Amino acid sequence: MSLAAEPWPAYAGATSARTGGVAGALAVWRVELVKLSGKIVIRAIIALSVIGPFLVVGFLHLQSATPGDTPFGQWVHASGFAIPMTILGFGGQWILPALTGVVAGDIYSADDHLGTWKTILTRSRGRAELFAGKFLAAATFAVTALLVLTVTDLLAGLAAGRSPVVGLSGQLVPAGHATWLVAASYLSDLPPLLGFTALAVLLSVASRNSVVGIGGTVVIGVLFQIVTLANLPQWGQQALLSTPFMSWHGFWGAPAFYGPFLWSLLTCAAWFAACSAAAWLIFRRRTIEAAA
Amino acid sequence: MGPVVEVRGVTKWFGETTALDEVDLTVRGGDVHGLLGPNGAGKTTLLSALFGLVLPDEGTIRLFGRTRAQAGAGWLDGVGGFVETPRFYPYLSGRRNLAVLAGLDGGDAASLIDSALERAGLAGPAARQKVRGYSLGMRQRLGIAAAVIRRPRLLILDEPANGMDPAGIRDLRAALRRVAADGVSVILSSHDMAQVEEICDSATILSAGRVAAAGRLDALRAAAPDPVWRVRTSDDGRALSVATGLDGVKAAVGDGGGLVVHAAQGEMDSYVLALAAASVALRGLELDRTPLEALFFQLTDGAAKPVATTAEVTS
Repeated sequence: MSLAAEPWPAYAGATSARTGGVAGALAVWRVELVKLSGKIVIRAIIALSVIGPFLVVGFLHLQSATPGDTPFGQWVHASGFAIPMTILGFGGQWILPALTGVVAGDIYSADDHLGTWKTILTRSRGRAELFAGKFLAAATFAVTALLVLTVTDLLAGLAAGRSPVVGLSGQLVPAGHATWLVAASYLSDLPPLLGFTALAVLLSVASRNSVVGIGGTVVIGVLFQIVTLANLPQWGQQALLSTPFMSWHGFWGAPAFYGPFLWSLLTCAAWFAACSAAAWLIFRRRTIEAAA
Repeated sequence: MGPVVEVRGVTKWFGETTALDEVDLTVRGGDVHGLLGPNGAGKTTLLSALFGLVLPDEGTIRLFGRTRAQAGAGWLDGVGGFVETPRFYPYLSGRRNLAVLAGLDGGDAASLIDSALERAGLAGPAARQKVRGYSLGMRQRLGIAAAVIRRPRLLILDEPANGMDPAGIRDLRAALRRVAADGVSVILSSHDMAQVEEICDSATILSAGRVAAAGRLDALRAAAPDPVWRVRTSDDGRALSVATGLDGVKAAVGDGGGLVVHAAQGEMDSYVLALAAASVALRGLELDRTPLEALFFQLTDGAAKPVATTAEVTS
């Protein structure tokens, strides 16, 4: 067959009008997930998230020393529950921003780099639908990655041992309760993770550069860590997007306290709203140029 | 039925540069409309504005009688095509790329992928190949396949024959005539004057961001300066003196030998007969610039500086 061999498919009426708005954003979201699934780096991250915790358990078994400068680090040989908490305490503030940055920091700027904005913006989806669908896909990846890490880290810990673990107030936490606390601690990192997702989206949209989108997210995360070391007033500490990654500490106290976690929800909501709104304002009126 | 595309007074600035300056464009249903102009004339900016990729600073654009604000998310329903070289996700196959785009389009676009790939000559292994391995011609074909699955009633194509082999170009020309006969309107940006002359019903010539001329092709031809011919004879000196005695014929010695003759078709016939009468043998005669090309060069020479006048040509 050739281009001219038969009549082309005839126009059959509007399609996007029937599926605009939320349905349109969901259509974009599905497409973005298909694209993400085609990327080797995404598959590698998911695979590493599954295998990594078990490798950490194996590594700790070979070590006689313990990572004592991290909460729960001194108990890694005594209780399997200490292992996921050590991983969370050590890597949460570093790994999670990088993890979401890989997708959220690239999901908009990749289309700048590849010159594909002019391909997808000439289809039946408006800018709002594209923005929302991509954002949703980035958030989906962040949530999925956190859930995978929660499950695999917990399973790796349980595989190492199910003895009660010593809490942050020195109390002994029985295995059943410890399981729930580990899961709750991991899930408490979801708000700051989504805050960093919005930050990475903003960097990706504003810079149109994936190096800035991904690397910038990590660098800002590190800068927050450094600033945390400074003698900031309490409100300053609470305003940093990295502080909520530690809000689970209160879960492991005796008695447990939830003030830092509730405060972190406000902080993360503010960061999320500000970064998302700024990204949308930049994106909605931008001119689409050819790829470099 | 109103025009399919109606652009009125569209102006676009990029910093200090005026990319489009009060541009008007009208395309009727079933017309193939050529968009001509030298590099930097504003063709791609205008096509980008039609797709909504570039937002005009002034003026209005109506597709099928509706502005973007009126149409909302349905602004590009029934519009297919591409600006500059079609771009796709290199890590996905040709088929997967179309599936991604069909997912954005909704409707029955996904069911048209196989036939679109076959129509574009990309069925079989080529459809399964990752796009990063595609040649320019294959990307152009995939771009056309991506347009086909939208069931377009307006096709906007920017240099679609770039990178295509001669058979592909011939096929494309036939396809554009055919879709126009079926009622699809086409806007074709091209540097290939012969292609425009062969398949377009009307054209707009842009120069330095402004419309230098616009209208039906026959009207543009009628308003054009005389075509330019290259003539080789047995005695160029004598042929030159024969030309000076004829009205409507201007001849000069060409750079590479032979003569360059400016004359309309009728005057050129008379000149050839006069050469024979003067015992000057005609060894070669070729059309160097068609009337449309002559008009194009007249209007766009020195396109870097603003064009002082605008030729309005209507049928």
